Amino acid sequence: MATQPTQRIINWLAPVGFFTLIIAAWEFLVRVFSVPQYLLPTPSAIAVDFASSINSLLFHAGITLWEAFLGFLLANALGILLAIAFAHSKTLEKGFYPFAIALKTTPIIAMAPLLILWFGNGIASKVAAAALIAFFPAIVNTTKGLKSIDSEALDLFKSLSASKWQIFSKLRFPTALPYIFSALKISTSLAVVGAIVGEFVGANKGIGFVILVSSYHLEIVKMFSAVIAAALTGIIFFWVVSFIEKRVVFWTTLDE
Amino acid sequence: MSLIDAKSVSHFYNSLHVLDDINLQVKEGEFVSVVGPSGCGKTTLLKILGGLLTPTHGELGIKGNSIDIALKRRDFGFVFQNPVLLSWRNVLQNIELPLEVIGDKTPFAESEKLLELVGLEDFGNYYPTALSGGMKQRVAIARALVFNPDILLMDEPFGALDELIRERLNLELLRIWQETKKTIVFVTHSISEAVFLSNRVIMLSERPAKIVGIREIDLPFPRTSETRQSKEYFQHITWLRNQLKES
Repeated sequence: MATQPTQRIINWLAPVGFFTLIIAAWEFLVRVFSVPQYLLPTPSAIAVDFASSINSLLFHAGITLWEAFLGFLLANALGILLAIAFAHSKTLEKGFYPFAIALKTTPIIAMAPLLILWFGNGIASKVAAAALIAFFPAIVNTTKGLKSIDSEALDLFKSLSASKWQIFSKLRFPTALPYIFSALKISTSLAVVGAIVGEFVGANKGIGFVILVSSYHLEIVKMFSAVIAAALTGIIFFWVVSFIEKRVVFWTTLDE
Repeated sequence: MSLIDAKSVSHFYNSLHVLDDINLQVKEGEFVSVVGPSGCGKTTLLKILGGLLTPTHGELGIKGNSIDIALKRRDFGFVFQNPVLLSWRNVLQNIELPLEVIGDKTPFAESEKLLELVGLEDFGNYYPTALSGGMKQRVAIARALVFNPDILLMDEPFGALDELIRERLNLELLRIWQETKKTIVFVTHSISEAVFLSNRVIMLSERPAKIVGIREIDLPFPRTSETRQSKEYFQHITWLRNQLKES
């Protein structure tokens, strides 16, 4: 017990120390070898740019996060509903599953121009791209979760003459919830990727747009700032979902 | 009249012959154990008695009615080999699950009283992951009793527990049985456990399972750890073991 706080400090210190070391090495090597700024800027230059353009970065990252979030909602709502339908109908599952896999294996970047054509240059095409790529984990995991109930637990409900709805709401769905949250966490980062890919193909705002424009102008420092902002967007999205997960499926961490 | 009356019950899983012409009557308030080699079909028999499985052949009556009526009346409380507690519910909420499912049936006793009956009065707010195997099985027993079914069907409930805990739970089960006056059908692969607990022991053969012996166990109640030392206790065990050998 006494070692627990120390352990916690080490758990924090290790990644922070490692990060600092890498950044310091990067700064040092770029300066020593005089690497030109347009190839690889120093971390300090990136930090200065990031700080000075924070308002613009926040605006664009906010747009991307909003697109990703809408795509995430759409994808997971659809994915979970379809999985519930699959759990009740084998025919539906057999008929639809191959297409879900085909959709998964189609690269989103190949679909993006089509989505722009269909949904225009605005937010809708980015939401569609995010939804397309974030859809797969929900459907796979929810289907698996709904099927993973214990046969004796099912017998218990049957011996009580439980209705189908009772079996679903009191047994199947709660059993599937940890699986669903794994899918939600995976799809946060996927949805951000989808939104950025959508922005690459045609947009006038969003973090993908900033990255693209700064690459055209060879503004490599700005590009790094935008990439960091994109990464942070994904991380924050992931954290929020993890935070909710810990409260909803609290029982999965009880034994620790 | 028998509470449970199974007439020439046979069962097949596809072409696998599991049960062969089982005739079994259980009287009200009786504690009957079904013993047999593992994999012989004891669980199948219990599932048939509880209406979870329809036998390929044979007839089944519960209190003179069909199994469907008995199921609708919720005559059966099951205790399975695994406690199957729902991990998102605490002990009390697990015990009350049948009441939520059934809705209108009045509880057999206050949930707190039931906790006391199974010796878990301080654990109502605990989640299953914090409980030991023996405690989980106690919760499962309380859950089976909460809606006051006439019949308890128990499928090797203590099979996964170590011997000391098992012997203690055997004593507690006998106490619970005497306090609640339920009819119990108890499946186990342990002949000694069956003899210790029951009024009557049914011995099944290897698959396809037939009844190869029925033994009235006239050991006096209340049974204690001394019962396990008595000559009669060993005689019953030996007799049953011989039935299996001869079959």
